[in-house]
Amino acid sequence: MSLSKLVLPLKYSKNCRKMFQIPNMINATRHLSVSKVHFAKLAQEKKPDWNRAVSEAEKIVGYPTSFLSLRWLLSDEIANVALHLRKLVGSNHPLLKTAKGLLYNGKNNMQAWGLIVLLISKAAGHSADIPDMEQDKAAGVLHSQRALAEVTEMMRTSHLVHKGLVNLQPPNNIDANGDMMFGNKIALLSGDYLLSNCCIELANLRNQDVVELMSSAVRDLAEAEFVGPRDKENNPLPARPKNVQQEYTQFTDNNLEPLIVSEALGNAHAEWTLRHVLNAGSLLGKSCQGTLKLAGHSEELQKKGYLFGKHLALAWQACLDREPFQPGSSGPFSLVCAPLMFTLQNKPELYEHIEKGLENVEEIDYHLLRKEVLEGPGLETTKKLQKEHSQAALKVLNELPPSDARTALANIIAAVQES
Amino acid sequence: MGSKTILNVRFHEKIGNLIFGPPCTFGKRGCSTAFRWYSQCGGYLQCYYSDRLSQWNGQHRNVLNIKSMLNQYIASATTTTTLRNYATMNTHQPGPMPDYQVDPYRLLEDDLKDVYSYIKNALRRNTYQRDLYEIATYYFDGNGKALRPMVAILMARAMNFHMYNENSTLLPSQREVAMISEMIHTASLVHDDVIDQSDFRRGKPSVNVMWNHKQVTMAGDFILAIASMMIARLKNNDVTLVLSQVVSDLVQGEFMQLGSKETENERFAHYLTKTYRKTASLMANSIKSVALLAGADENLSELAYQYGRNLGLGFQLVDDLLDFVSNSEMMGKPTAADLKLGLATAPVLFACEKYPELNPMIMRRFQEPGDVEKAFELVHKSKGLEQTQFLAKQHCTEAMRIANQLKESPFQKGLIVTADYVLNRMK
Repeated sequence: MSLSKLVLPLKYSKNCRKMFQIPNMINATRHLSVSKVHFAKLAQEKKPDWNRAVSEAEKIVGYPTSFLSLRWLLSDEIANVALHLRKLVGSNHPLLKTAKGLLYNGKNNMQAWGLIVLLISKAAGHSADIPDMEQDKAAGVLHSQRALAEVTEMMRTSHLVHKGLVNLQPPNNIDANGDMMFGNKIALLSGDYLLSNCCIELANLRNQDVVELMSSAVRDLAEAEFVGPRDKENNPLPARPKNVQQEYTQFTDNNLEPLIVSEALGNAHAEWTLRHVLNAGSLLGKSCQGTLKLAGHSEELQKKGYLFGKHLALAWQACLDREPFQPGSSGPFSLVCAPLMFTLQNKPELYEHIEKGLENVEEIDYHLLRKEVLEGPGLETTKKLQKEHSQAALKVLNELPPSDARTALANIIAAVQES
Repeated sequence: MGSKTILNVRFHEKIGNLIFGPPCTFGKRGCSTAFRWYSQCGGYLQCYYSDRLSQWNGQHRNVLNIKSMLNQYIASATTTTTLRNYATMNTHQPGPMPDYQVDPYRLLEDDLKDVYSYIKNALRRNTYQRDLYEIATYYFDGNGKALRPMVAILMARAMNFHMYNENSTLLPSQREVAMISEMIHTASLVHDDVIDQSDFRRGKPSVNVMWNHKQVTMAGDFILAIASMMIARLKNNDVTLVLSQVVSDLVQGEFMQLGSKETENERFAHYLTKTYRKTASLMANSIKSVALLAGADENLSELAYQYGRNLGLGFQLVDDLLDFVSNSEMMGKPTAADLKLGLATAPVLFACEKYPELNPMIMRRFQEPGDVEKAFELVHKSKGLEQTQFLAKQHCTEAMRIANQLKESPFQKGLIVTADYVLNRMK
């Protein structure tokens, strides 16, 4: 979300001041890059491998993925939003939480997404007939690929921000002083602003196949919010587990087609995969596919690029899903996280506890479910699932020629794997 | 000033009696109709005798046009019955259309009859989820005016005729752009409804009343994504660029609506830019796109763009005017809605000149009790409505002038009639 970007550079206001005096954007972002490494170091004690893998990878592609932070700072719309957003401080609109989450939640950091797109671009290289003008020689990627990486980040952020709206559908009368309505307005517009920037950036690529591909990723993100049962705040609940487990084979070759949802519901593995392909895998996969398309690679390699991004996103998600159940962690967890879904599959009678949350997921006894997850096979199955996806991603990676970018990607996958 | 007022009054009486008979015979609805006619005619005279208004957009040449139009008005306003016969469109106020009696909706009946089902199919092909489909298609129920697709197809056909004569036909890609323009418009409506918490649109509960707001937002994103995929499939770089600009303008217009400016001059410029971005950009650029697809050169596509821009500005000005004079039953949405949302539109900004006490109300976005009612009353007491009508008239006349530069065809005539319809519509 914009504001997170806004806050980050402001923290290092000295650097900021320097930045504004330098007309050259690239120099300016290099300053930003320095500040970001400092930032990474602050949090390093907690997740050393992850942060090292990411900050080293950032060095390889020149400078951190986007100069979104700068561009946003300088845009009227965002300055406007920043003013308005101040009014929200003190209310409990989730937009603030979303912004905070984007800043501090290391592993879910959307910046890593753009980074992956750039790394795969560099690792795969590009065809020889692309003119020098279109290349960023220092970083080893094309300008168009950098733009696509930005689009990836913007789409993801926009989705997260739109997801963070509060449901004010009448007669929900929770908004006595108008804070929530105002927060919704800002969140909706900020998300739309990002999406409209995506439209412009994509159009400027002058590659209609990539425009179509990336637009279909936005469609998938929107679709993700409709899968399965929902409480009144649209939080997802798992579907009732089915007795008979059918093999689920609906991931077609043509990923421009929408996914068939109903067949996957109630089958823990298929339902989890479907939810998170729509929610994350599709965007990262299509971005990787698109960037290879821009570089003029074969259809076959493009498809592998899609698989790489998809599997990496799923491995990532499985890793995030396991985190709340690690020793020493407590706190809430998603009801559609893999460990819980596998536990439910194994012990369908637990579904009656899930049903208590159909109105509001907060009614659910998380304590009891956590205990069940820890005792059941869910965590082990999730670990296996994560490994499968990591390895599928690694397999694609190993088909590319060795390079520092490839090593950096392998390190990121390893960092996901080990935690 | 004195002689002008007398002239105005005399003219009002004359035209008003000619068209509607003595004023006392109307019901409530008739009054507002008559009022609009009066204000319209008053507007012409005002413009003719005082060019103070035309200073800020410097379109002095329109004064001439308006003079000739005025003569046409008087010439054609001989009896009430002939006037009524001119009104061919259902939603059209009885109005004179000398020379041209083309009904663009009838002219394009075949092109337009499948617009909504085509859009619904495109959305259906892109999801297997019923909830999403229902929300996304809620406003594609066929009850809209489909003005944007109509104008796009009209221009496409007029442009094709202009360039290739009789043997021209509507290109599938042009039809596609017409659908896309309606989809982008609807996606923005869906998001507007969540932002503004409106209750009614097009005579039914608005989408935010029916469904969860997060899902409604996502459905808006979904419509935009599908439209964007359709744009990409046209495989035309320029068209993609032109249409992506529309999306950006819509959002920036919405941002502009959040803020307001301190001084009157700034405020009016702010309002006009906002109006362009929120309404006119979509019309102008989708019309430009169909021209580009026809193979139009820079001059011709600019001509198309300017037609759309003027039509769009005229359309929105009339919309802002109707918000003060229509009743909610006819509009399908509540009136004075803009004031209630804290928005100062053209009538209020004009009224400000005479009643400076409106300034603080504008700045506090009509939030204090009684503000809305007071502002509404002051606008009606001022000349704000006439001046808005006059400005809309200028833009529509300019659109007509531009359409006249195309080769004569039923579609070209349709473009002229549309500009007239936009100006004189009642809803």
